[in-house]
Amino acid sequence: MALRTNLDRVSKSSTRNPIHQDIQVADGSLAPILVVLLSCCCAAAQDAIQFNRHIRPILSDNCFKCHGPDEHQRKAKLRFDTEGGARAELKHGRAIVPGTPEQSLMMSRLTADDAEERMPPPETGKELTPAQIRLIRDWIKQGAKYQEHWAYVPPKPANTTVAKDVRPGLPGIPRLKWASNEIDRLIQARLESEGLKLSPKADRITLIRRLSFDLTGLPPSTKEVDDYFMSDRSTKAYEKFVDRLLQSQHYGERMAIYWLDLVRYADTVGYHGDQDHAISPFRDYVIKAFNDNMPFDQFTREQLAGDLLPNPTINQRVATGYNRLLQTSHEGGVQKKEYLAKYSADRVRNFSGVWLGATMGCAECHDHKYDPFTQKDFYSLAAFFADVDDNRTFRGTNSLPTKREPEMRVLSEKDAASLAQLKARQKQLKKKKLPKPGEQIEEEDLKSREQELKKVEAEIRRLKAKEERTMVTVSIKPRDIRVLKRGDWMDTSGEVVQPAVPKFLKGIQTKGRATRLDLAKWLTSPNNPLTARVFMNRLWYLFFGVGLSKNLDDLGSQGEWPTHPQLLEHLAVQFMASGWNVREMVKMLVMTKTYKQSSLDSPRLRELDPENRLFAKQSRFRLPAEMIRDNVLAVSGLLNRKFGGKPARPYQPAGYYRPLNFPRRTYKPDTNINQYRRGVYIHWQRQFLHPMLRAFDAPSREECTAQRPSSNTPLAALTTLNDPTFVEAARAFAARILEEGGKNVAEKIRWAWREALSRPPSESEQKIAANLYQTNHAVYAKDTAAAEKLLKVGMAPVPSEINRTELAAWTAVSRAVFNLNEIITRN
Amino acid sequence: MDALNEINRRTFLSRTSLGLGAVALGSLMSSEAAPSTGPMGPHFHGKAKRVIFLCMAGGPSHLETFDFKPKLKEMDGKPMPVSYTKGQPIAQLQGQRLRCLGPQFEFHRHGKSGQQIADIIPHIASIADDIAIIRSMHTDQINHDPAHTVMNTGISISGRPSMGAWVNYGLGSDSTDLPGFVVLESEGGRNPQPIASRQWGTGFLPRRYQGVQFFSKGDPVHYVKPPAGVNLVQQRGLVDAVRSLNQIRNQSVLNPEIETRIAQYELAFRMQTSVPDLMDLSDEPQHILEMYGTKGADGSFAANCLLARRLAERGVRFIHLYHRGWDHHGDLVPYMNTCCRLCDGPSAALVRDLKQRGMLDDTLVVWGGEFGRTPMFQGKGKKPGRDHHMRAFSMWLAGGGIKGGVTYGTTDDLGYFVTENKVHIRDLHATMLHLLGINHQHFTHKFQGLDYRLTGVEEARVVNEILV
Repeated sequence: MALRTNLDRVSKSSTRNPIHQDIQVADGSLAPILVVLLSCCCAAAQDAIQFNRHIRPILSDNCFKCHGPDEHQRKAKLRFDTEGGARAELKHGRAIVPGTPEQSLMMSRLTADDAEERMPPPETGKELTPAQIRLIRDWIKQGAKYQEHWAYVPPKPANTTVAKDVRPGLPGIPRLKWASNEIDRLIQARLESEGLKLSPKADRITLIRRLSFDLTGLPPSTKEVDDYFMSDRSTKAYEKFVDRLLQSQHYGERMAIYWLDLVRYADTVGYHGDQDHAISPFRDYVIKAFNDNMPFDQFTREQLAGDLLPNPTINQRVATGYNRLLQTSHEGGVQKKEYLAKYSADRVRNFSGVWLGATMGCAECHDHKYDPFTQKDFYSLAAFFADVDDNRTFRGTNSLPTKREPEMRVLSEKDAASLAQLKARQKQLKKKKLPKPGEQIEEEDLKSREQELKKVEAEIRRLKAKEERTMVTVSIKPRDIRVLKRGDWMDTSGEVVQPAVPKFLKGIQTKGRATRLDLAKWLTSPNNPLTARVFMNRLWYLFFGVGLSKNLDDLGSQGEWPTHPQLLEHLAVQFMASGWNVREMVKMLVMTKTYKQSSLDSPRLRELDPENRLFAKQSRFRLPAEMIRDNVLAVSGLLNRKFGGKPARPYQPAGYYRPLNFPRRTYKPDTNINQYRRGVYIHWQRQFLHPMLRAFDAPSREECTAQRPSSNTPLAALTTLNDPTFVEAARAFAARILEEGGKNVAEKIRWAWREALSRPPSESEQKIAANLYQTNHAVYAKDTAAAEKLLKVGMAPVPSEINRTELAAWTAVSRAVFNLNEIITRN
Repeated sequence: MDALNEINRRTFLSRTSLGLGAVALGSLMSSEAAPSTGPMGPHFHGKAKRVIFLCMAGGPSHLETFDFKPKLKEMDGKPMPVSYTKGQPIAQLQGQRLRCLGPQFEFHRHGKSGQQIADIIPHIASIADDIAIIRSMHTDQINHDPAHTVMNTGISISGRPSMGAWVNYGLGSDSTDLPGFVVLESEGGRNPQPIASRQWGTGFLPRRYQGVQFFSKGDPVHYVKPPAGVNLVQQRGLVDAVRSLNQIRNQSVLNPEIETRIAQYELAFRMQTSVPDLMDLSDEPQHILEMYGTKGADGSFAANCLLARRLAERGVRFIHLYHRGWDHHGDLVPYMNTCCRLCDGPSAALVRDLKQRGMLDDTLVVWGGEFGRTPMFQGKGKKPGRDHHMRAFSMWLAGGGIKGGVTYGTTDDLGYFVTENKVHIRDLHATMLHLLGINHQHFTHKFQGLDYRLTGVEEARVVNEILV
């Protein structure tokens, strides 16, 4: 197992300590990394050692569990998470005596030969490397200075004179441009210090595809590619293209994919019977909020506390569906008190994951082991949500959808407006209907009015039928929230707590009980150190493939010291200064040189920076599940670009829902154009997520997901090969190839490549595709029944004038294109 | 995954000789960011190489199977003593008058070991000397869904890795053309229990370790069959074309992900034949089919048990069967009759069959539900039933280093609480991992800053008393 241990060590170092500041020494078998490590060892030894950057990760990972914030687990009354604790006088002396490692008990325990004496205890499986021990010794020698954890201090730009200039913009340079330049400056400065530089700009095809997927989740059309090539090569054309994409309604759909993962949006209740619940208007709210570029602080307030805003609009009430997105149950035998405790904890976990980038789940049962979150903090946060009416959820029904009151009925804005108008007219017409005594009314007039009334009422009924139910938050008298000892809902001995934010953070000043609205406002107040950092770190990840602090769901003590601390500060400061303007931030990121780089690797780069933490190139990654679907539908011409509405049900293997019950259910795929809707609208069944989404790593959305894994499995291969959605898209694309692709095989292949991949095929690609076409053509020419069968996959009609053999053969070529690595990769 | 890490892992694997045999393509070739995602290999030599988990979903009554309570018989119909139930979580019987329900079946002693087993499961009784019965199981959750989640992941919060995923993460798969973790389900008995796919999910572990559900109707694995109108030769041609096109592209972009994907397409293609072969029971001799009590792959528990053996033979690491008929709030006797008729014979046949093939020594078989049932009467249905019970229930294990003919742990006179040798689900997990050669304390994965374990943060112990 020796080597395994080493691998572990390297992997740890790459998760928490970006390689170039890493002090750990790896096994000789990993020589390439070692070279880099050694060079930084020296750098670190010369420079002043920083607690946050160098020391905290070591202490957190190895010592905090027993000598950290959790006082119940604390051994020997010693804690290393605070300066006072580490220097305190203990029975045998002081763990740390600043300036004199020789007198510091910590050093003798770290280096003890006797296993009984040595720290960390061998049974923990933890062990410090000699380099780490040296580092701690040097740090003590330098005075053992502590720093507040970086993510818990409000973000400040490093250079205050620059900061002053940020907001009005430097003379002659618009703010946004300046901010983008600043990103490049910080990235380049770091690269230079490592002897590296930015990669060249990506070619235009790569850029246009990258932008399209990143900003809309869809491929560029061939016309867009052509137009872009016709345009001049200045940055202006690029910027114009960016602006266009950002204004597209698909931008909101793309951003929503990510947000819905965070807030764990799903169309079913999750527990036990996993019945559908009414919530899709919330999904549309999210998409629309991004499309309208709603400021993030408002977006935050509306979701957490829209119902508490003065005179809330319908949309603001729909937004409060956020508090209802958790898993619920009405299983027979559910104990209300137990489930209320579950819901409470679920909300805290999600809230802290989404906005604070904190992993508070463990504080349900005990003080956090690594961060200063106490168990009381956990329940104090839960108390903010104690007014959310959950009582009626226990009276759910075994129906589809089930009931999860409180719910409201909503219409689209347009329909709501027409309905209001119609109702007014109805009232008018009814009033007029009864003539005052003695009043004469023309019979003709009366008749026409009656006819109109009939029409109006029919229209009202039609619109009413379009109303959708959606779960919302209704505030009731808050129930008592107690600290539950060890998380045990039956233990009623814990103290009752009031709503409060974690104690070590700057609190909320209110008269009386603090509300969800206060909580929401606190999140985006200038003193909150986390919200802007957490969001911008995630935004960076979306457009560069890896977070500046890699662990997107934990900026705490066990999170990672950012690779570019100043840059993350810069982003957070910009975000707040922009008035929480998300679209502007996205634009700021994609306008950088760093973004526009090529994603091609060089062996040297791969060796030096295997995870691309320094951004000497763009990252390339597999597209998210939804985009893989959207892409082939778009290319095939089948994509339905409708906005919002009820969940869509694409084809799904029969019997997949067999393990579901209460009620039993049969999946009915959509038989109209809803079949071809974007992935973001697919019915999200928590317990049995659509196999295609699952194969490509979409989460079940039971908990907050900040980063999806990116797997590469045979199940994914089987999906793009054989899932009827992909086969149908292939035959629809084949029909387009035949109709639009040109005269001969070569032309058709060329056309197909340009449509699907935005580039012409190479000669050898031509050959392979032509060969595939011919072998399949030969088969289908002989076996017309087989061709018919293939063309019957999916419900899209086959154009009658098309030659069936040709169509089947080109379907084979289309399937090959839809299975290329290139088509599911963002380069 | 970048090439360097891939090379490291391969170097690691080739340098490690832990008696693991060839590491399967499926676990080796897959990519995912961190280098530590490859199978770890066992910590020490484990007796078991694989697990077959027979889950009786819904919660079979321990009082009608393995835990005989004469005292409860005496108390039949009398009020349940409040001393037992005071302050205890109660599921469907909340707010109702609680009275005792005596055991509904007779018990007899079986085998040389003289294990006490109910008459309703004669076939399992006939392998009494091969199984270790634990009467002292207990869990944290009283409702099905979270209780299954605890059984499979060690915690009631949804979305953590399941034990099958953990085991594959630790040991990899020995199969070159099947997934390492396979799930089969069947029903029969009461209105079937829903089972969520999260029960075989991977949580924060790499996705390739997730359980793959096999089906007896339709495609045995989703999308495993080529589309209608495409034969295997054409499909092969297509996969070849995709490979060539990917290789050409790779000359200019040098993306290691492409090589991995090519390998996955090969495995996918092999699955198109290996899975149907596996599911086709026509090559099984008549006496074997009869032994299990099945005519072919018909989706029954019997057929699934036979498939479990076939999967085990093909190197699948973790095989999880669910029979979803065991939630007997009422009509306990008729429903037990049905469930036992469907599950008793095949469960015993599986153990016997493994034994006669010499596979029982390295195959761990586990049998039981997510919790037990109350000593109290519940009146849902025409005849008496029992409610959910989490404070005590029974399971049995066989093979893979388990000592046969042992009964471990005791409950009180009414079968309500465990009185001796408590075994929590995390102890079961620790024991299973131990048999597989894994030290549960050191078997961790970094998640949310923690070194996360299947056995969680609370103390867990290996139940040495039931090991050979």
